Amino acid sequence: MNEAAPLPEAAVVAEKLTKRYGSLTAVEDLSFSVAPGEIVGFLGPNGAGKSTTMRILSGTMSGTSGRASIWGVSVALDPAGAKRHLAYMPENNPLPEDLRVEEYLTLRARLKDVDPARVDERVRKVMDDCDLTRRASGRLIGQLSKGFRQRVGIADALLAEPRVVILDEPTIGLDPHQILGIRDLIRSLRGKMAVLISSHILHEVEQVCDKVVIINRGRLVAQGRTEDLRRELLPEASFTVVTRADEAALLAACRATEPAAMVAALPSIGGWNSFRIALPAGSPARETLAGALIAAGIPLREVAEDRFGLEDIFLAATRRAPGEARRS
Amino acid sequence: MRHFRTLLAHELRTAALSWNTWAAAGLFLALMGGIHFFALVEGSRAPGDRTPVESTLWFFWLPLLCVLPLLTMRTFAEERRSGTLAALLTTPASAAAVVWAKFLATWIVWVVFWLLFTLFPFLTVQRLGTPGDLRLGDPSILWGGLCFIAVSGLLHVAIGILCSCVTRSSALAALLAFISLLAMTAAGGALESLPIESWEWLGWLREPAAHLRTFGHLQDFAAGILDSRPIVLYGTGTLLCLGLAILSVEGQE
Repeated sequence: MNEAAPLPEAAVVAEKLTKRYGSLTAVEDLSFSVAPGEIVGFLGPNGAGKSTTMRILSGTMSGTSGRASIWGVSVALDPAGAKRHLAYMPENNPLPEDLRVEEYLTLRARLKDVDPARVDERVRKVMDDCDLTRRASGRLIGQLSKGFRQRVGIADALLAEPRVVILDEPTIGLDPHQILGIRDLIRSLRGKMAVLISSHILHEVEQVCDKVVIINRGRLVAQGRTEDLRRELLPEASFTVVTRADEAALLAACRATEPAAMVAALPSIGGWNSFRIALPAGSPARETLAGALIAAGIPLREVAEDRFGLEDIFLAATRRAPGEARRS
Repeated sequence: MRHFRTLLAHELRTAALSWNTWAAAGLFLALMGGIHFFALVEGSRAPGDRTPVESTLWFFWLPLLCVLPLLTMRTFAEERRSGTLAALLTTPASAAAVVWAKFLATWIVWVVFWLLFTLFPFLTVQRLGTPGDLRLGDPSILWGGLCFIAVSGLLHVAIGILCSCVTRSSALAALLAFISLLAMTAAGGALESLPIESWEWLGWLREPAAHLRTFGHLQDFAAGILDSRPIVLYGTGTLLCLGLAILSVEGQE
């Protein structure tokens, strides 16, 4: 880790970031932060401005207006200082084809101001951490599979033990085994480095990240812990019920306990009818529904509350108008 | 400065291992070997004012236009195309360090090519010459000419580097470098051939035309005349091109 310095409140700060290309606005008024040691998922549909934001934060692109800082250092005013605290793996992870993995990492370590006496040690450490030592260290990068190339990119990001790591789609094109490996690797960084990670694999993000930032059309639409966003964006409750009763009987039983309840039929399962019951936000029936159905004589095989995943949160967030996001 | 040294060592290593450098070296030595051979044959048939070495050096423009663009074309264009330049700039290494390292590495390779060329006159003298006989080539002319190549090479390489900075296509970078170097080499002669004396309003061109005569510079260097004006011209031109290249790299988004 870099030399001891006062811990800033936020490892990454984006404040009213805006990027325009002529009349096209790629990022507008975008503000969010990442705390030290926190892993944050950066989500958005294609063309939402994720990569542009990451490039501005990494200093490879200048913003039109706004402020970006890494570990308290302004990216615009002191790019070299900000880069000392930062490692950035771009989306397509460009690597020189004609270098061997170990040579490449050694070069990168020197360019990233790793103590010359520790270069070999750090290269060995990240190659071990990324499972490159045994199968890839002496091979040309151009001969590596996509998975190993991604590992080389992540190894490069971890080389100088930066305060902040920005990974743009680190698991793109990987098979499930490789994704698991990368997920564990990123998880192991929690508490050591602030990680901002963009991915389209929402399940991955949900498993790994402490918080998510969702943008759409260049603007913030939601940010916070998944649980908080679930409550904010999807406050209504939904249950899946498997029963012998028909829709009318079930609806009547539901309406007796919650007049605004809605019932929708789902495909039947082995002769059993299956329904989705939707309750409005804050309905007390959420806690009493199962008991009420039994009391009404509905023959039940299964009652389960549907748990909204990050995918549902993402869809709900990206459907709502930009600017509705609540800062959390 | 530490980054510059690291990058320079990396660039020199990459150049040494690149098929592109070896292909360029082969082409260079074939061209210069052929020219020197014909200069020797011509000199043996009808000895003239110039020795074979002088005649060969007079054709310096041929490898300059055909070989140097091959060396400079990939420096930035290929890295921009593959995205490795952007990745390089995510490190604390500055754009200036990257540009200077690539420039110096290419210049060193260019000078090494010309040092290899000295093997031709050296072997010729060793095989065919007699001690003290300067008809096959005066070493002072050879080294003077090589000094010109090295000094003017600073600007020529910088032009090639700048051309490579402004495009993602290596082929286009080579073409741009070829055109720029052709214009640079021919500019002085072309301006001097204009009837400036008879056109009053073109009088201001007289001085620049006199400074830009590339072949005149070669003649001066080969004759051992050390004129500071071409050195200033090549030096400032180099700094200007590299400054523009740095701005171009910094501005890439």
